[in-house]
Amino acid sequence: MLRGFLIALAVASLGALGGCDDAPPGRPPDPPGVRVDQRMGTTPDPGFERAIQPRAFEFPRDHGAHPGFATEWWYFTGNLQSDNGARFGYQLTLFRIGLKPGPPARDSAWRATQMYMGHLAISDIGARRHHTAERFSRAAAGLAGAESTPLRVWLGPWSIRGAGSGLFPLHISAQTDEIAIDLSLAQGAKPLVVQGEHGLSRKAAAAGNASYYYSYTRLPTSGEIRIGDRRRRVAGNSWFDREWSSSALAADQAGWDWFALQLDDGRDLMIYRMRGKDGRAQAFSSGVLVGTDGAVQTLAVDDFRLVQTRTWRNADGVDYPVGWRVTVARLGLDLDVEAAFDAQEMRHAVHYWEGAVAVSGSHTGVGYLEASGYAR
Amino acid sequence: MSIAGISPLLLRAGLRYQLRHRWQALLAMTGIVLGVAVVLAVDLANGAARASFALSSEQLRGAATHRVLGTGGQVPQSLYRSLFTTPGHPPLAPVILDRVRVAGQPGRLRLVGLDIFAEGAFRAALSDTIAGQRSLADWLSQPDALTLSQSAADLLGVQTGDPLTLQYRGHSHTLKVFAIHPDRSLGSRDLLVVDIATAQAITGLDDAISHIDLILDDAALAWFDGRLPASLRLVSIAQQTRGVERMSAAFELNLTAMSLLALLVGLFLIFNAMSLAIVQRRNLLGRLRALGVEAAELSRLVLGEALVLGLVGTLIGIALGVWLGQALTGIVAATVSELYYDVTADAMQPDWASLAKATLLGVGGTLFASWLPARQAARTPPLTTLSRAALEQATRAQVAPLALLGGSTTLLGLGAAFNAPGGLVSGFAGLFILLLGAALLTPLALHIAHLLLKGIARTGVWRLATRDLDRHLSRLSTATAALMVALAASVGVAVMVESMRGAVSDWLGQLLSADLYVAAQGFEDGATLPAPVVEQAAHLPLVSAVSRYRNRRLQLPDGPVQLVAADLAARSRAGLGLLSAADSEPWGMYERGGILVSEPLAHRLGLRAGDTLRLPTPAGQTSFEIAAVFRDYASEHGRVFMPLTAYRRYWEDMRINTLALFSDSPDRQALLDAVRSRLSADHDLVFTAARDIYAESMAIFDRTFRITQVLRYLSLLVAFIGVLSALMALQLERRKEYAVLRALGMTRYQLARLVALQSVLLGLLAALLAIPTGLALAWVLTDAIQLRAFGWSMALQITAAPLLHTLILGLVAALLASLYPAWRAGWHDPAPQLRED
Repeated sequence: MLRGFLIALAVASLGALGGCDDAPPGRPPDPPGVRVDQRMGTTPDPGFERAIQPRAFEFPRDHGAHPGFATEWWYFTGNLQSDNGARFGYQLTLFRIGLKPGPPARDSAWRATQMYMGHLAISDIGARRHHTAERFSRAAAGLAGAESTPLRVWLGPWSIRGAGSGLFPLHISAQTDEIAIDLSLAQGAKPLVVQGEHGLSRKAAAAGNASYYYSYTRLPTSGEIRIGDRRRRVAGNSWFDREWSSSALAADQAGWDWFALQLDDGRDLMIYRMRGKDGRAQAFSSGVLVGTDGAVQTLAVDDFRLVQTRTWRNADGVDYPVGWRVTVARLGLDLDVEAAFDAQEMRHAVHYWEGAVAVSGSHTGVGYLEASGYAR
Repeated sequence: MSIAGISPLLLRAGLRYQLRHRWQALLAMTGIVLGVAVVLAVDLANGAARASFALSSEQLRGAATHRVLGTGGQVPQSLYRSLFTTPGHPPLAPVILDRVRVAGQPGRLRLVGLDIFAEGAFRAALSDTIAGQRSLADWLSQPDALTLSQSAADLLGVQTGDPLTLQYRGHSHTLKVFAIHPDRSLGSRDLLVVDIATAQAITGLDDAISHIDLILDDAALAWFDGRLPASLRLVSIAQQTRGVERMSAAFELNLTAMSLLALLVGLFLIFNAMSLAIVQRRNLLGRLRALGVEAAELSRLVLGEALVLGLVGTLIGIALGVWLGQALTGIVAATVSELYYDVTADAMQPDWASLAKATLLGVGGTLFASWLPARQAARTPPLTTLSRAALEQATRAQVAPLALLGGSTTLLGLGAAFNAPGGLVSGFAGLFILLLGAALLTPLALHIAHLLLKGIARTGVWRLATRDLDRHLSRLSTATAALMVALAASVGVAVMVESMRGAVSDWLGQLLSADLYVAAQGFEDGATLPAPVVEQAAHLPLVSAVSRYRNRRLQLPDGPVQLVAADLAARSRAGLGLLSAADSEPWGMYERGGILVSEPLAHRLGLRAGDTLRLPTPAGQTSFEIAAVFRDYASEHGRVFMPLTAYRRYWEDMRINTLALFSDSPDRQALLDAVRSRLSADHDLVFTAARDIYAESMAIFDRTFRITQVLRYLSLLVAFIGVLSALMALQLERRKEYAVLRALGMTRYQLARLVALQSVLLGLLAALLAIPTGLALAWVLTDAIQLRAFGWSMALQITAAPLLHTLILGLVAALLASLYPAWRAGWHDPAPQLRED
């Protein structure tokens, strides 16, 4: 649900744009990084719309952008296998960030009140290497933007394209000098999952501190990934989250831990925990279990238990929880969730841990874990 | 040539001699001091202008290695979008760059529009300014946000939050200082940074940007193959910067050559002083030889003395040069800005390379100038019994061979200046050779003058004075040559500037044939006329004909040229002085799409009427037939006239910069009133009469030659010191002779008159010799150097003023130089002089 929202907000609240400080010598640095200060709780401009009422989603229109809201994302993660069995995780997220409410002045095609940020990552599980990239652009002059019918969201050469009004097959593509993904996502057996209360997903007590949220939890995926010069045919399943809002973390909230697990029995489990500054789960935490046929069971905060079993310390001395015990007693789930490998931290404008995980215990499977609010 | 090869005793004796003749040594040293100072000052000022340009382009370039440029200074933003959205693109940054004015500030500032999202890899400093202090959201969404460096803020006297009003092509835009970057460097002092959207709104570049900056390695370079349309070019920034720097290279070389001329005069003074010192000491040197001092050692002694003089002179010269360089920097920078590209230098840093160069020139030049005297010293026979008379006899015997050598050297110099390949450098080499040749002819000229004067002056002091010319040929000829060289250099430059001024004045008078010129407010910065004004122009009362002009810059492979698309009235055509035409009907050819190229462009590219020239148009490279070559002093880089119809066909640009209105009515005021009342109501226009443009143009001409004038005065100063030192040395050397004359009964007044007369005679002779030499120099400067440097030809125009100045200068200097020796000769007790030896 909330995934990414802190990231987007942080960028909007104060963009400090600069070059990559540690680009390897002899090679031009990647497109600029955004250095962001720690004002994560900044409230968006009151001129933006807030998510207060549940809404009836309208497609394909709602696949496109909602510029009246401050932040929005198209968020893809997935676990893939190459022809020879090598395992990979990937993440591609395009964030739309409203800098000011309202349309830009019309004096120049470059004038912008919106920007886009993109995060791309490939986890090479066999090699235990996490490759990441980030890029930015203003939403102007055709450099970045979103269209709903057919769906097209792009940030320079990074793009998400739907096929006509039906969205699928989705084609996502992003690349840097170092890595690339070029994937085709089919709808598979499961329909769209409307999250929260008819699409309204609350994250704090105050009205309007909520988002509109829907997901596709299991999209059969095939295509190609490239690491360095090596290209591989890959196949597996993706998870696609769509969310838009104008909310901020409440004063007592530190971050969240978010699980997107695809079990081998065909069911998908999403659980997130809003974490208070005291380190404890808050009442706004929740989850869903999506059955093989797409049937949705909603989980309240009392329905599940999350226990950290292991942490990994990054170079800055920040501890990320990378081993968890996830228990949903009501459904007979008692899962050990372990990072596919530890070093899957995104270190760009905002530091957070987002990586492929393996599930064992009462059921097996794969998934993605996002742990935010731990680092600076 | 090391001092180590001379016995300390000998060197002490040598230096002791120089100390005793300290006036002579001091004046010779002054030549070196001034020569070195001028050379160093010009070098430093040139360097400061170059460094300022390099710094300011560096400031803007950041990490970019390459640039995509358009033909008309524009790149469509659709190209940027298509590159930016293509997978695998290298780091790209869109840039809008233009010049704006700020009310109350002389000169222009650079307005730079950047996309902060693209900047990280390119210009971290600029993005830091926004990043660190204010929100990205404000920067992007406030259409009036502007950042600048601390140095620019200091220059403009603004602080964060202050409004700043920019003038662009006649329109005002009030922006607000959003943030100030702590950069205090000179290179960012004229840099105003805005969001690219703001820059586009101000400059009115519809759907276009100025260029795209790139960071490319070889692989990325290959990525560009086939991705750019024909109208765009990918250039390396180093190459582009060199191209701009090349624009001013001829100008800088001219300054350097003029400064070298001053040094050359200084070296003549050293040569003169050292020669004199040998002549004076021939008996001592002979005795030393008899005592067993070897010839080579005597030669080293002379060089050792020269080295000391040269070193001391050079050191003082360097100190003076640094001071002078500071003064020249502002003038050079102003001239470079006016003629070539904006530089902001107003202070310079003496750099080691320049100091080393000046030292080498000063000391090396001194040793070189002393080489002949040193050889002369080495050839002194032991215990010489050579009398003065015999010495003069020997000198007289050399007059003819020297004259022969001088004559052929002069011809060699002329040949090199006019015919040798190698551009400007061989032009100047020829100039210097010519000057040396003329100096070698001086003894012959003196001899002839003596023969002539001998016939006229038969009595008393006159007779004594004239007879001396020949009797003291050995010392007089070098002194006179030194004066002559100094004066000739001054004559040459003065006549050249006069000729150029005359040529420009004639050309302007012919060119500015219209009765009234109309342009939009801000035309200097490229503002174009509103379309209704252009449409109405032909139908205005009293207006019988109209010429329409559209100007823009074109980038040719070897530099920029000015494209003038013009629809020319008959009188405008008559005003363009055609130098050569492809056929008898060049204007018919022009109307059919032929072009006219200016003389400098034709010269640089080796083009003649009838040839074709390829120009970059939006349709790609297109060949145009050259109908004629026209005389033009407007731009050394070249101008091309193209019929307006052809221009509009290729560029699809209907704008007009200037209208020239012709009237059959002689009443200019009535014309102005009529035109102004019709056109001015709705539009902000500038009306200018031809004579005002003429006056303004000549003022610019004079401003740009200010540095030349300064250098000319400096070399005149060296010349003056030259006259003074040569004559004073000569007169002081003859103190004993004067003592004898006094002892023989000559009154002190008679003696003083003799001394003054001789001085004035020499000054006059040097000045008279300097006039033909100077005219020859002017001829070379005007016909060879100007053509080689700028590609324009002009007629030599000789006026009386510079020649008269030279005569007066020679005489005044000679008179002044004789004052002290005359007083000394007349009023000093002759007895001690007689007792000496």
